[in-house]
This record gives sequence, C-alpha cells and structure tokens, in this order.
Amino acid sequence: MPKIEVKGLKKNFGENEILKGIDLDVNEGEVICVIGPSGSGKSTMLRCLNRLEEATDGSIIIDGNDITDPKGDIDLYRRNIGMVFQQFNLFPHMTVLENVMLAPVKLKIMSKEEAEKVGRDLLNRVGLAEKADAYPPSLSGGQQQRVAIARALAMHPDVMLFDEPTSALDPEMVGEVLNVMKQLAEDGMTMIVVTHEMGFAREVADRVIFIDGGYIVEEGTPEEVFGHPKNERTINFLNMIL
Amino acid sequence: MCGLMLVSPSGILRGIARVYIDLIRGTPIIVQAFFIYFGIPNVTGIRLTATVAGIITLTLNAGAYTAEIVRGGIQSVPAGQMEAARSLGLTRGQAMSNVILPQAIRVMIPSIVNQCIITLKDSSILSVIGLTELTQTGRLIIANNFESFKMWIIVGIMYLIPIMLLTKLSQWVERKLQIAKD
Repeated sequence: MPKIEVKGLKKNFGENEILKGIDLDVNEGEVICVIGPSGSGKSTMLRCLNRLEEATDGSIIIDGNDITDPKGDIDLYRRNIGMVFQQFNLFPHMTVLENVMLAPVKLKIMSKEEAEKVGRDLLNRVGLAEKADAYPPSLSGGQQQRVAIARALAMHPDVMLFDEPTSALDPEMVGEVLNVMKQLAEDGMTMIVVTHEMGFAREVADRVIFIDGGYIVEEGTPEEVFGHPKNERTINFLNMIL
Repeated sequence: MCGLMLVSPSGILRGIARVYIDLIRGTPIIVQAFFIYFGIPNVTGIRLTATVAGIITLTLNAGAYTAEIVRGGIQSVPAGQMEAARSLGLTRGQAMSNVILPQAIRVMIPSIVNQCIITLKDSSILSVIGLTELTQTGRLIIANNFESFKMWIIVGIMYLIPIMLLTKLSQWVERKLQIAKD
C-alpha cells in the first residue's frame, strides 16, 4: 500500500480553480520533487496534504488516515507529517532548542529531558549544535531553515513536506539546506519537495512531477522528465529555467 | 477574552464580541453610566450602588477597547506562525497560548497601558452618578474650604502620580521584553 494516496484532489479559492484533479501515489521512502511554474498549484497541493488548505474535492490518505475527513483528528495525523516552509516560520520568542522541543513536550510525547536530548541530537545532525541557545532572528536564513527541519523531525514524522525550502535563501546558503535534505533522503525518509532547485531534483528525487494549470502534466524519473520530456509544456518550462 | 473571541473561527462568538464592542465604543461613557445607574433599576427594580455601577461601567468600557487591542496584537503575528505550530500537531489552543499570544503580548503592552491610563482618567466622569471618586472628593472638599486653585492642583497631581508610575512600568516591561528577544 502506498504511504500517500491522493485521488482526484481539487482545490478552489472562490471561483478560482487551482487544483483540477491531482492523482498521486507515493511509496514509503520515496523522494518526490514537484516542479512547475509559479501559480501552477504545486504549493497548494502540498498544503492540502496536511490540511493547511482544505481540499475542495478528492481524497488524501496518508498512512491509512483520511486527511480530508472532517471527523478525523487532524492534529493527530499532522504529528506524523513534518512540514518545512519557505519562510522558515521559526518561533522568534524561543531559543533554537526550545523551538525543537516545543511540540514533543506540549503534546506529551516526550519528557522535557528526553526532548532536550532528542533536540540536541537533531541540532547536531543539521550541524547547529552550538546554536541551541541562540534565538532564531540572530541566525542566517540557511541556519534557520536547518533548525526548522530539526523542529519538524523532532516529532519523528513518517513523511516530510518541503514547500520551496530554499527559495527565500541567499544563494550561498542553499547548499547547506539541500545537504541536510539529501542526508534525510538517504536515511529513507518519505519526502515531497516543492522546489526550483533542478540540480537537487535531478540528483535526489526518485520521481519528478511537473504540475501546470492544476494538473500533473508529466511525471517520471529525473532522467525521463529532464532528459526526455514528452509534454510540450514541460519542454517549454525546462527551456525557460535551465 | 473578548479579543480572543474576535479572532475565533466561530462566527457566533465573533458576532457576540462585535456587537458588544460596537455598542460600547459607539456610545459615550457618561451615557453608559447613566444607563446602568438609573436606566437598569428603572426597568428591573434592582438598585445598584454608585460604586458597583461605576465599576461595571468602567469594566465594560475598558473591556471593549482592550478587546480591540488584543485582536490587533494577535493579528500582528504572521500567519506562518500559526501554520508552523499547527503543522507540528499542536491544537489551535496550544498554538495560541504557546506561540501566538507570547508574541502578541509584546505588541499589545504599550496600548494596554495606554488603555489603563484612559480608564483611570475616565473614572473622573463617574462623579456624575454621585460616585465619590477622586474628582468628586475634590469638589466636596472645595465646597467646604473654597480653595479651588490649590485643591484642583492637588487632585491633578493625584491623577498624575499613578499614571506616571504606570507609564514607567510599561517602559520597563517593554525594555525587559526587548532584551529577552535579542
């Protein structure tokens, strides 16, 4: 059974139809990179997966839980789905370590001591052990995004969603964030990454999905999509950015 | 409390808060005081003392204005903060109390202190329902000794001192929070 099963996902904002029917299966441990022009609905699709946006129609099953079910406990499902945002969204009034510890402690999944140990391990893993007691605004963008990844990992999610994680970063900081994500992919995390980093998609993705106009227009291995795109819109898009 | 209702996802709660705030902000405090002290007993027969009526008036008034301050403070926190907290599995309430409110309070403090000062001064209006607060006390003393120049200066100073202290306190708290942030 696939880890993530999306069927006929539609999303309207008022009259505006953003997603017109997305079907997508993601297997455990798979890394999916989602590419496409801005406004194509790729971020909206990602945000539907943990119900930050309510789907208008269709179904989303993650780990057997129906995300779109209004009676389902979405807070419980979300514990299992980590998310990393373009703007990092770290909590500026807490130290880096407190950011990472907050959810596991408040949701009573770990004791304070456990969470601190897990938090320091994770910060070590993203190369920021020495910043544990700093406040997020004093960190560079790349460092903040790595903390945000550690914060999401603290809940031990099965799935990680990345919403353009490097788009708000200065170019010299993109690499450090992508390296952390690459490591995560190698460790077998199931990941969906909305990105403009074609190099990363080519190297790390198991499958690349090209979304345009609310549909998945093309999908395949990086080799297929970048090397031999079949759809005209994919060809145009790739010509523009590469 | 009412400020939280204003940002609630429930339309009913928002509606109740809205009506309350519009009613209070749309009418002068002196009319509210007359209504509570004279109007309500007229219909219900329940007689309130001037002190109780005065406290109710000031509380309702400060509450309505503070609610708007709270709403503004909460809405000044970027939407991404709530999304990040919810994406970790926190409930709306947990996200509010751990992530949104601690940031909103920093923004709200100067306005809340300002509201306290206004409420303190508004209490002088309640002399019209015969409440012997500071201004009324001054008038009573002057009625005895006719020293209106001296007495009004004294009354003025008696308002000034607590208000100055409040202002200093708020500046101190703001500075503290600033340091905690850096």
